[in-house]
Amino acid sequence: MRIKLTSIMVADQDRALKFYTNVLGFRKKMEFPMGEYRWLTVVSPEEPDAVELSIEPNANPAGKTFQEAMFSQGIPVAAFEVSDMGKEYERLKGQGVVFTREPTRAGPVTIAVFSDTCGNLIQIYQRH
Amino acid sequence: MLLSRKGFKLLCDGRDLLLAANDESVSIKNIACELHTSPFHFIRQFEAVFGLTPHQFRVRHRLDRAKLLLARGQHSVTEVCMEVGFCSLGSFSSLFARRFGQPPSVYQRRARAMVQVPGTFAPALFPGCLSLMASLPAEAFRNFREARPAEAD
Repeated sequence: MRIKLTSIMVADQDRALKFYTNVLGFRKKMEFPMGEYRWLTVVSPEEPDAVELSIEPNANPAGKTFQEAMFSQGIPVAAFEVSDMGKEYERLKGQGVVFTREPTRAGPVTIAVFSDTCGNLIQIYQRH
Repeated sequence: MLLSRKGFKLLCDGRDLLLAANDESVSIKNIACELHTSPFHFIRQFEAVFGLTPHQFRVRHRLDRAKLLLARGQHSVTEVCMEVGFCSLGSFSSLFARRFGQPPSVYQRRARAMVQVPGTFAPALFPGCLSLMASLPAEAFRNFREARPAEAD
């Protein structure tokens, strides 16, 4: 058994794809139309064969309720590792990304949290 | 941009007000006023965080709700239109069609055909989960494995 796929719920798959590729810098890996929606995954260009992130529609009302509650409580739903927190923070801010937590040292890592414009808070972290 | 804790809470409250406001007469200006912020500031920050202006966000939420109600199949298109807070059936229909690719009446007929238990909705209409994977074509993963060496050229 291997961990090769994880997922994130988004309000709008088109908008999410733009954010996750153009802004965050991931690459689209799979795209298959499925009725109104698509099976859509992205990978990190640094590790294209590692874990795939499935960008799922949050059409199900239960998903939407969960997403809104996590967001309001300030809880990130995914965390991505970065090599240089200072550089990423400035790069993303320069692209108009809104952070709810600036880079903060927390034990073995430095973390920061931003909004993905699709209803989620995302954490980035750098290990020390 | 770095949001303060207070700024973040304000936007979440704003989002909840937009989700709750079932009445088209509640303007974005009213909502900003209720939050003790300027409409300009509210709209700008809301869009940066949620990817849509407050108005677009509210319309989208209403259309999503309408879709769910139509899928349950217990109300007419007109009832659904009023229930989610649109005043005009014409603008509701055209916004719905633009977003979901078919007018509400067509969607409702399709959804009704799929619903097995009245008052519930067919899971196929609201997947939103990894179960989508089950409907991938057989060659989905194979194609990507085969495509990789070609990309490397």
